Amino acid sequence: MTRRVQQVVVVGADAPAWMAAAALLRSVSGAGIRVRVIELPTLLHPADAYSALPELAGFHHRIGLDEDLLFSLCKAVPVAGRRFSNWSGATPPFIHGYDRAPPPAAGLGFTQLWIKGRQRGLRTDFENFSLASVAAKAGRVPAAPKVADLHAAFGYNLDAGAYSALLRHLTMRGGVESTAATIADVEIEGDRVVTVTLDDGERVEADLFVDASGPRAALIGRMPGADLESWRGWLPCDRVLVASARGLKPLPAFSQISAFRHGWTGLFPLQGRTAVIAAYDSRETSDQAVLDDLPALANMSIAGDAVVSDLSQAIRRRAWVGNCVAIGDSAFSLEPLDGAQLHIVHYCISQLMTLFPVEADAFPEAELYDRIIRRLAVNLRDFQVAHYKLNRRFDMPFWDRCRDAPVPETLQRKLDLFAARGRVPLNDDEIFQEQDWESLFIGHGLMPQSYDPRVDAIPEQEHIAQVQARLNDIVGLVEGMAPVDDFIAGVNSEQAADVKALG
Amino acid sequence: MMQQVKDIVVVGGGTAGWMAAAALAKVLGTQAHTITLVESEEIGTVGVGEATIPPIMQYNNLLGIDEDEFVRETNATFKLGIEFIDWRNKGSSYFHPFGVFGANIKGGVGFMNYWLRWVQSGGDPDYRHFIAEGVAAGEGRFARVPASPDGQSPRLNYAYQFDAATYAAYLRRYAERRGAVRHEGRVVDVEQNSETGYIEAVKLADGRRVSGDFFIDCSGFRGLLIEGVFKAGFDDWSHWLPNNRAVAVPCERVEDPTPFTRSTARESGWQWRIPLQHRTGNGYVFCDSYLSEDEASRLLLERLDGKALADPKILRFTAGKRRLGWVKNCLAVGLSSGFLEPLESTSIHLIQIAIMKLFEFFPQRDVNPVLIDLYNREMDVLYDHVRDFIIGHYKVTDRDDTPYWQYCRNMTIPDSLRAKLELFSDRGETRWMPSDLFGETSWFAVLYGQGLIPRSYHPVANALSEDELQLAVAGIRTAIRRRVDTLPSHADFIESCCAARPAATAA
Repeated sequence: MTRRVQQVVVVGADAPAWMAAAALLRSVSGAGIRVRVIELPTLLHPADAYSALPELAGFHHRIGLDEDLLFSLCKAVPVAGRRFSNWSGATPPFIHGYDRAPPPAAGLGFTQLWIKGRQRGLRTDFENFSLASVAAKAGRVPAAPKVADLHAAFGYNLDAGAYSALLRHLTMRGGVESTAATIADVEIEGDRVVTVTLDDGERVEADLFVDASGPRAALIGRMPGADLESWRGWLPCDRVLVASARGLKPLPAFSQISAFRHGWTGLFPLQGRTAVIAAYDSRETSDQAVLDDLPALANMSIAGDAVVSDLSQAIRRRAWVGNCVAIGDSAFSLEPLDGAQLHIVHYCISQLMTLFPVEADAFPEAELYDRIIRRLAVNLRDFQVAHYKLNRRFDMPFWDRCRDAPVPETLQRKLDLFAARGRVPLNDDEIFQEQDWESLFIGHGLMPQSYDPRVDAIPEQEHIAQVQARLNDIVGLVEGMAPVDDFIAGVNSEQAADVKALG
Repeated sequence: MMQQVKDIVVVGGGTAGWMAAAALAKVLGTQAHTITLVESEEIGTVGVGEATIPPIMQYNNLLGIDEDEFVRETNATFKLGIEFIDWRNKGSSYFHPFGVFGANIKGGVGFMNYWLRWVQSGGDPDYRHFIAEGVAAGEGRFARVPASPDGQSPRLNYAYQFDAATYAAYLRRYAERRGAVRHEGRVVDVEQNSETGYIEAVKLADGRRVSGDFFIDCSGFRGLLIEGVFKAGFDDWSHWLPNNRAVAVPCERVEDPTPFTRSTARESGWQWRIPLQHRTGNGYVFCDSYLSEDEASRLLLERLDGKALADPKILRFTAGKRRLGWVKNCLAVGLSSGFLEPLESTSIHLIQIAIMKLFEFFPQRDVNPVLIDLYNREMDVLYDHVRDFIIGHYKVTDRDDTPYWQYCRNMTIPDSLRAKLELFSDRGETRWMPSDLFGETSWFAVLYGQGLIPRSYHPVANALSEDELQLAVAGIRTAIRRRVDTLPSHADFIESCCAARPAATAA
C-alpha cells in the first residue's frame, strides 16, 4: 500500500502564502490532510500595493471571501483597466480594459469589423469599442452582468499589507496552524526536502512543501534542477522603486503606466493614497536619479520613504521538484507591468489543487505542473515584452534597443499573424485572451494589414449599423455604472466590523 | 496596395472538395470571387458510410443548413458515440460517448475522481450509466435536448452518420446554387509562375485551362498539387498505425438504426458498422501484412448482419500526414493532407478544420509566409493529437491472440502518448492540453474501456463521507436516468421530423 500525503507545509509570507493556505484549507483539509504555515518575514513595505486582474474574484469566491471586506479593510479601488501613456511619441495613450466577453463564435469578432472599417476611413479609436476602456475613461465601475457580447469586469488595487493581513486572519480563523520563523537549515536528500529547521531549532517535516516565499525561493531555490533562467535579455528593467503619494479625488477607474527614458512608472490609486512604482534599468540610471525625477514623472509629490529593491525577471527551470512545489513568484517572477502577480499565484494554486499528489513517495504530477507553469510564464512574459517591442519612443537608446531587439519566437508568431491578419494565435495556459492582446497591439500602434474575408459578406450598410450600435450600446451601459467613489461608498461594512472585532 | 485573392480553384470533388466549395460559396460569395471546382467522374471518390463527431455542427451552422433537411437528404442517422467490441479482449465491450461524465459534485474535484473512489469501494464499474449519451445509446433513444435553463443538465451531444456520397451531392447543390462552378474533367497539367512557383492554372484533358489565385487540393491520397507539384513530403506513421487497407460494403438494414457507430476488433484490424436510414455501411480496416485483401473481403461478407448490396470495394492507404499542408498558394484539404483511419470518425473533422483555418488565415494573393507557417504548425498539433488518441486504442489492450495484436501491444508509441498513459494509470488524470479535440470524457472512456484502470484518484475525493458519496453518485445516476427516460426511440425521432424521402432512399 502506498503512503498518502497527510501533511502539507506552506513556507512563505504575504498574500501568496496565505492564498495557498486558504485554498488548501478549503479543499484538501476536508480530506483529512493537515495544513501548516511557516510564516517567513514579510517582503512587503508600507507603500506596497497589489494590482490584480478581475479573475481574483474567482479566487475569493473559491475561498469564501466576502469582497466587501476588500473595500472596507484593504483600501481597495476597483479599476476597469490600465492606461498606457508615453509609450509613443506620436500616438495618444490607450487603455487596456478588462473586457471579459466570451470569444466570438467561429472566430469572427468585432475586431475584424473594426479593421475593415478602419481601412475604409472609420476614425473612432479601437478602445471606444471596449466596454471596459470606456468605463475606465468615464471613471465608472463595470460591475453589471453581461449584455450580449459586451461584458467587462473590474480588477483590484489593494493595499498589499492589509490584503495579506486579511487573508491571514481568515485562514487562521479557519484553523490553519501557523508559526512565524526564519529558516536555519534545509535538509535535502536526492530530490526531497527531508526537514526544514527553523531558527528556534524546531525540525519541520512534511509530505509536501509549498514554497510561497517569493523571489527568495526559500526551498525551491535549493532543489536540484530548479536554477533560474533569466529573461532579462527581453525585459531589461532590474530595479523597482515603491513609494506613496496622496489619494486622488475623484478616484479614477484605471491604473496609469507611463514610460520614461529608462523604464516606466505606475500610479495605482487606493483609498486615501496612491501607490507609485518605478521600474527601470540600473545600467541606464541610478536609484537616486529616479527618486529625484519621480515627482515630475508621477506628477505628484511623494509622501514618506521610497524603497528600492532588485527586480528579478526569471523562471525556475523546474517549479515542482520531489516534494517541493513553488507557486507564484517563487516559480517565476516578472515586473508588475500588467497586474498579473496575484493571478500567477492563483493559477499555480489551481493547478496544484487539480494535480494534488496522490502518493507521498512519487510525484508523477510534477512534470505536467512544470509544463503548465512554463507555458503560463512564457505567455505572460511575451505579453509584457510586447509593450517594450512595440514602443515608439525614438532616439532614446534604451527604447531603441527594446524596439530593435529580437523577441521570443512565441511572441513573434503572435505579432506576425496579427500584423498580417488581425488574429492572435493563443496558446494553452494564457492569462490574457485574444481581446487583451488586440487591445495591447492596436493600442501600441500595430495595425493589421488585412481582415477576415467573412466580413466582406456583411453588406456595407449593415456593417456601419453594427459599428454604430456597438458604440451606442457601450455608452448606454456605461451611463448605468456607478462612479468609483459611489461604488465604494455603497459597500456594506458590517462584516468588516466583525473582522476587526475578532482581531 | 495588396491584391486580394479573387479566383479560387478546388481540385477534386468528393466530401473534401464539396465541403470546401460550399463553405467558400457561403462565406466569400460569388459576387467578387469565383469558386471553381474541377472533378472527374472517371476518378472515383472514397465516399462510404461516414460517421462524424459533434463539432460538425459548427460547419453546418456556418452554412446555415437546416438540420432536418440535411438529415433527410443524406439518409442520415444520429450518433451519440461509438461502441467498441472485443477491443480490450474478446468478449469485452465499452462505449465512447459524446458528452459529459457525471456531474459536478459541490466543492470538489472532477466527477471521475469520485467515481473511481466509488468503484474501488464496490460500485458498478460500468461508467456508461453516468453519461446520458451512453445510456440513451444503449437503449436506442434519441432526441435533441438543449441544456436546462438552470444549468443543471447539459445538452445532449450528438453527431451524424450519413452517406458520404449523398452528403457531397447535397453540398454540391448548395454550392452550385450559390454560384460555384463545376468543371468535369481530369487535370493533366499544372502551370506555375516561373519566378514565384505559384500555381497559375490547371489544364484539363480536353484542353481547357482553369486559372486562379488560390488552389485547394482535394485530389485525395495522391495529392495532385501538394505532392505532385510541391513535393510537400509525407510523415509515414504506419509503424504506429499499421492498417493500410479497408474493404467496404453496404448491406441491407435489418433493424432500426442504432444511434451509434459500432467498431469491432478483428483478428488483423477492426470492422465498422455505420447504420444509415436506408442501409448499413460496413468495412474492415486491416493491415495487409497480416491478412490478404481477398481474405478480408470474405470475412467481412461473412460477418454482415444483412444481405450485401454491392461488391466489396478495396481502399488502399498509408497512415500519416503530409509534412506541409499549405505550400505557396496551395492548400491541401482532406486525404491529400494526410490519412488517419476512421476509428474515431475524424476524417470530416480534419477537412472542416482545414477549411475554418483557411478563413481564419485567409491570405492575400502574395501569401504571407507567416500564415502558412502558423497554419502548418496548428494542423500538426491537431494531427498529432488525433494520432495519439487512435494509437491509444491499439496500445492499451489485453489482446495478444494474433500476430497483429501482439505487434500492436508491444509497439513503441510516441513520447507524448506515453507520458499521458503514465499519468492516467497513476491517478486517472486526463487533462493535458485544454485545446485538445478529445477531452477528458473521451480519453477516460477509451483508456478505461481498453483496460487501463487508474491506481488512484485525486485525494480530495476522500473529503466526502461514505454516505455523502453514495448519495451524490446515486443522485447523479438517477438524474441521468430521468433525462434519458423522457427520450423517444431513435427510429421514432427520425420518423417524426427527418425521415428520408423515398427518392433519396433510392439514390
